[in-house]
Amino acid sequence: MTPSRPSHAAHTGRRDRLLLYAYAATLVGLSVLHHPGLLAACFLLALLAARQEATALLRQSLAAILALNLSVSLGYLLLASWQAESTAGSARFLLTLNLRVLLMVFLGCWLVRRVNLLAALAPWPTATLLISLALGQIETVRRLVADFRLAFTSRHPAPPRRAARTRHAASQAATLLDKSLAASTEASQALRSRGAFDA
Amino acid sequence: MHIPDGFLAPQIWLPAWGLAAGAWTWAARDLRRRLDEHAVPRLAMLTALAYGLGLIMVPLPGGSSGHLLGVALLTLLFGLRPAFLAYSGVLALQALLFGAGGITALGVNALALGLIGGATAQGLFRLLRPLHEETAVALAAWGSIMVGALVLALVLGAQPWLARRADGTPLFFPFDWSITLPALLLPHALIGIGEAALTLLVWRHARRRGWHALPARAQTA
Repeated sequence: MTPSRPSHAAHTGRRDRLLLYAYAATLVGLSVLHHPGLLAACFLLALLAARQEATALLRQSLAAILALNLSVSLGYLLLASWQAESTAGSARFLLTLNLRVLLMVFLGCWLVRRVNLLAALAPWPTATLLISLALGQIETVRRLVADFRLAFTSRHPAPPRRAARTRHAASQAATLLDKSLAASTEASQALRSRGAFDA
Repeated sequence: MHIPDGFLAPQIWLPAWGLAAGAWTWAARDLRRRLDEHAVPRLAMLTALAYGLGLIMVPLPGGSSGHLLGVALLTLLFGLRPAFLAYSGVLALQALLFGAGGITALGVNALALGLIGGATAQGLFRLLRPLHEETAVALAAWGSIMVGALVLALVLGAQPWLARRADGTPLFFPFDWSITLPALLLPHALIGIGEAALTLLVWRHARRRGWHALPARAQTA
């Protein structure tokens, strides 16, 4: 017997919520783990569990953390060499810190691919309202910026001058605000018609 | 300026999450009554703007990153409570969708940037508005960036003392206040000027469009 649509949605919401709680518990666990070998083993497990998504997730996670972690790690190395600290101790610390950060970000990226956040947050209606409105706006902004960039590139086969760039940025900003406002007005009217603002 | 995942000891981020949860409950109280279908689209639009601003970031060696926030703008137009909630949503989305900032650090980031930064903007604006409104907007924006950066620098710089091995090696973020304070405050003094200029531009745009008059119920929060 196939489940009815509402009960299937409820089941998915429950599953997503459970995954969200499991993710939160894993973050707590990782925060108290300070052995680089254990962290590496956990990371390997996560990579294996992600299967064919592992490469894309790893690339996404590295892109997110590389610049910041590199600057902190290089800063630490410089300071440690200046203060003549033990190389083994420094290496162990840097391995622990970077593995922990990478693993946490990897799990976050994985969660977003696996879980419908709005379904998982359903018991908290205010959070759902704010996040669904913001997500809608983010998509509007993303599409508009891409359209503007394409139009600007097509109008300027040679590198554009600063004045042209400034005019483009100003008109893009004004359109972004107006268009985004129009889109979210539509969204909030739809919400109102469904009673979202009824106290 | 976000603190990413893995830089904070649990003795900091767990209580911060508890505090932030309390603050979110306080901020969400009566939200639906205070925001109507006119204010919500503007809040959503400026939240998306804050989200976009936060993604253009420069890593700072002090363990954070430098970027515009938009929290002063949200606070001045909608009041502290809706702005704090909206900015917390921005931080959560940036952490989950782009790995910018972190879920473990969300409580600290939300309290420092959304609540304390927003309260600073509101306080400075109320204090300086009688002198000159646009100067008050610019200084409120600059102040919100600087106070947010100061709180994050203090939290990050406390990590080496809070959690370290027996041999003194840190377990989480390794630099103390002698590094985090200048590394975060000096770049943010400049970033704050950009934030002030942007806040002022959008504030003028909002005035021309008459946005600021509508969410009067929200501004009383």
